[in-house]
Amino acid sequence: MRVLEIKDLCKDYPSFNLKNISFCVEEGHIMGFIGRNGAGKTTTIKSALNIVHPTSGEVSYFGRPLIGNEREIKRLVGYAGGAVDFYKRKKISDIVAVTKRFYENWSDAECEKYMRAFSIDPAKTPRELSEGMKVKLNLTLAMSHGAKLLILDEPTSGLDPVSREELLDTFVFLKERGVSILFSTHITSDLEKCADDITYIARGEQIASEPLSSFMDRCRAAGYGDTLENIMVHFEKEDIREKLAD
Amino acid sequence: MKNLLIKEIRLAASPLSFIFIAASALAFVPGYPILLAPFFVCLGIFYSFQNAREANDVVYSMLLPVAKRDYVGAKYAFTLLIEGISFALTCGVTAVRATALSDSAAYAENPLMNATPFYLALVLLMFAAFNVVFLGLHFRTGWKIGIPFLSFCAVGIVLIFLGEASWHFPRLGFLHSQKIEKPALQFAALAVCAVIFALLTAVSKVLSAKRFEKIDL
Repeated sequence: MRVLEIKDLCKDYPSFNLKNISFCVEEGHIMGFIGRNGAGKTTTIKSALNIVHPTSGEVSYFGRPLIGNEREIKRLVGYAGGAVDFYKRKKISDIVAVTKRFYENWSDAECEKYMRAFSIDPAKTPRELSEGMKVKLNLTLAMSHGAKLLILDEPTSGLDPVSREELLDTFVFLKERGVSILFSTHITSDLEKCADDITYIARGEQIASEPLSSFMDRCRAAGYGDTLENIMVHFEKEDIREKLAD
Repeated sequence: MKNLLIKEIRLAASPLSFIFIAASALAFVPGYPILLAPFFVCLGIFYSFQNAREANDVVYSMLLPVAKRDYVGAKYAFTLLIEGISFALTCGVTAVRATALSDSAAYAENPLMNATPFYLALVLLMFAAFNVVFLGLHFRTGWKIGIPFLSFCAVGIVLIFLGEASWHFPRLGFLHSQKIEKPALQFAALAVCAVIFALLTAVSKVLSAKRFEKIDL
């Protein structure tokens, strides 16, 4: 089952264009969404959540178009960004108490389970949490309402190696329970550890969207490199010394 | 909508929005331009918008299972809640002044506007100005609050001057009387302003929802 399907998504800004992005996230899969900073990953994710309006293209979840089914779809989708945090000075228990009112499927038992596992103290405020803990708090909120799809925008950026490893383990744990994850990052080694599929965009254009293994095989055969990092460098490296000399 | 309103009160609102409701009692103070009272209430509401912006309230809300227009509706509902409580208190103050304190020398010699039904009408116009100017301009971007609030201040100050000047016009001196002279006329003015408030707020809300729907956040 296709949990998320994006078809020919375009978004025109005065100085940036996102062109014909198309990919789908299958049930129980982790889709890695990679590209350099400014490649258009966040614009794609925001378009997929109707936070920005695409110039053209279609976004559908669970076989239903987002437009017209936004409320029902968002009950099944959880989002966590790496940099965004909400209500930094409010107690986590207050944020949880308000958030749960919006979800019929909310489970207090699940919420307590994740809070305990992630060592989140509900009496604290988000500003007292580390960046890694903030991502875990967002994951807790998403999992407590039974999200079937998690959309994670650079959740591992700025985290220490141990926190990153713990988060990646969490993603694999959730995947094993049938949760699908769309996971944007420019830290390619994270994807090599947990992703099933990959969508790669550069300068607003899609380079690839396919199973990670076939993408790696294809790139290795073409001599682009052995790791995702080398492959990205192959596709995107510019001669900065030449630019600086101009 | 109920859940969004609770979210507004528990997470997005500034305590100042509730504290500034107490400014409604300024209508008791003689020798004070009492139309500043609803202005301060609006200032209190402004602080909640500032608080919400700093707390990334809009992004949090957009990820909830709600439509974009519901977010706008909740902001209007919160604003109307504060304005409604303030207006009810102001009505109480006006009633006390017109009854128990109607013979007070301080009010009889008050050089500035007294609290009368006409004053209540002007309070509603002040709130209507906030809903149209501040909220209307804010939801053009969903982000800016400075220019919208300064624009409201300009309109509010004009309203305060017009209110204070009104009873100096020929044959309008009765608007100032603490004994509530020509009550039918004054209550008619209050009813008309109540209709204006309701219409302007409703139109402002519809336009704000349409504008906000088109914004890329």
